[in-house]
Amino acid sequence: MIRRTLDRLYDAAGAAAGFCVFAIFAVMLIAAGARELGFRTGGTDDLVSWMTAGAAFLGLAHTFKHGDFVRVGLFLEKMPPRLRRGFELASLSIGVIFTGFLLWSVGLYLYNGWLYNEMSNGLLVVPMWIPQLSFLLGAALLFIAMIDEWLIVFGGARPTYVRAVEERHARGDFSEDV
Amino acid sequence: METFGVAGVGLFLLIVMLFLLAGGVWIAMTLAIVGWVGMALFTDMQAARWGENLFVAMWGSSASWELAALPLFIWMGEILFRTKLSEQMFEGLAPWLGNVPGRLMHTTILGCGIFGSVSGSSAATCATIAKVALPELKRRGYDEQLALGALATAGTLGILIPPSITMVVYAVAADASIIRIFLAGFIPGGILMALFSGYIAWWSIRHPDRVPPADPVPGLMEKLRRSGNLIPCTLLIVFIVWVLVAGWATATECAAFGVLGSLVIAASSRSLTWENFRASLMGATRVSCMIMFILAGAAFLTKTMAFTGVPRLLAEWVASLGLSPFALIGMLSLIYLVLGTALDGISMIVLTSAVVLPMIQKAGFDLVWFGIFIVLLVEIAEVTPPVGFNLFVLQNMTGKDSNTIARASIPFFVMLLVCIGLITVFPEIVTWLPDRLMGKET
Repeated sequence: MIRRTLDRLYDAAGAAAGFCVFAIFAVMLIAAGARELGFRTGGTDDLVSWMTAGAAFLGLAHTFKHGDFVRVGLFLEKMPPRLRRGFELASLSIGVIFTGFLLWSVGLYLYNGWLYNEMSNGLLVVPMWIPQLSFLLGAALLFIAMIDEWLIVFGGARPTYVRAVEERHARGDFSEDV
Repeated sequence: METFGVAGVGLFLLIVMLFLLAGGVWIAMTLAIVGWVGMALFTDMQAARWGENLFVAMWGSSASWELAALPLFIWMGEILFRTKLSEQMFEGLAPWLGNVPGRLMHTTILGCGIFGSVSGSSAATCATIAKVALPELKRRGYDEQLALGALATAGTLGILIPPSITMVVYAVAADASIIRIFLAGFIPGGILMALFSGYIAWWSIRHPDRVPPADPVPGLMEKLRRSGNLIPCTLLIVFIVWVLVAGWATATECAAFGVLGSLVIAASSRSLTWENFRASLMGATRVSCMIMFILAGAAFLTKTMAFTGVPRLLAEWVASLGLSPFALIGMLSLIYLVLGTALDGISMIVLTSAVVLPMIQKAGFDLVWFGIFIVLLVEIAEVTPPVGFNLFVLQNMTGKDSNTIARASIPFFVMLLVCIGLITVFPEIVTWLPDRLMGKET
């Protein structure tokens, strides 16, 4: 039950990130059209940059679970399973600590921005914490996903992010490798 | 700080980074953690200010209008990857190559070059063209070794011929113009294709017994009819090149129109199903999320590095050595070749930019030129064992051992080195087109 809820949560945020990518595309086209017709389109620059941030942060947990975060596999892949499990746990522990710190930093910054009512300074004037919520949400989900994955590996299973990549490559799909 | 010395700080952070990387910590996080360690140990900043710096660096790096081009260019490649473009390309190119030495073997180079003009990824280019060309070439009896080497290496044209994901990342990391670097990639890309094709022709003349006879040559009308399939793709390439060359749109707008064009091509070949649309969009989202997270981590590291003064010191030290430009480039090539054995191209660029770029500028190199140089080195890294990714792609597709494929790539690998030599001796190969079209950089 918890498993299903969490996975849905990561995927929903991932879909929101996907929507941001689509929205960048749509806004760019609409702005180009509007400019041809003589409308002013200054505010779209801010909108596009916030959506780029949304695409980056909302997708973090989903991308991590999917195994798309790059790392150096050179040594990991040559290790015997028991040693490798130790290294995976160490990496995940570092990940939990770091994302915890990240979440705290983002939370604190947003709280201050909200407290002092920091406004955006472009053509589109809104309280800055609103577009920055994507960072808070993304960092929170990544933190949860790290703990989630730590528990999975600690419980003796293989990491989800390793299995996902193996399955994708077995299908002959290399579209996600730059 | 005083007891340690700036050089000691740099060395300590480097060791922490290598340790984390080798242990398998995700690269984006490694970068940020090293920045964190540096800030905690070597500045007298309060803990709350570390967090503030982390936030400002990461948000500032990601909430960027320039960077919006990245997901769009990736998405464009993802859409076309899911169409029948590669089949059409083979069919359209094949009838014209009957009389060239090497015949259909050139479809590997031309196919990768053309697909590289719409895709910004090396692995995707290699996989897309290999999927069609390998079975077709094998069925006709072409030499498999040569085909594998050509595909592995020519696949890397995906990141040299614009649009290129690697170039966007470099441009963002170096704070250079995306369009300028794109423009700089065209001529070296063309030269590299000529070198590859030249090698195939030379090999085929030397081994006439290993080149199968030509397919029956169809009439001119039939040739044109078959090549008609290539028209949509050609139009898209011409459009992108034209937009870039005419300076008519920014890189992000160009990417948005590229996505639109790809969607139209996909729809017209009836491969635009909802499933393909969703899969391409989500694939692009994940890849860009991964890359933008690395850039965000690197932005924080760069900030710490600026506090510690390591890059400035290193730049001054290298400048004081009085190395000739060739010696410096030779040394950097060697460092990147070593890095390339363990790291992917994007991480390699982002990881080193904070330290290497000030050094390069201090030594009087052009940042656009250096961008092309580094892309060529990334291309080499893609085909060198143990972790050359194109080797891995072909290994998975053919079941052949990656060392066999690496051996097959050696002649083409040499051509890449020749290309690096050419642009080092004649830097105008890189800078002429952007300077000509956009004026000299001031």
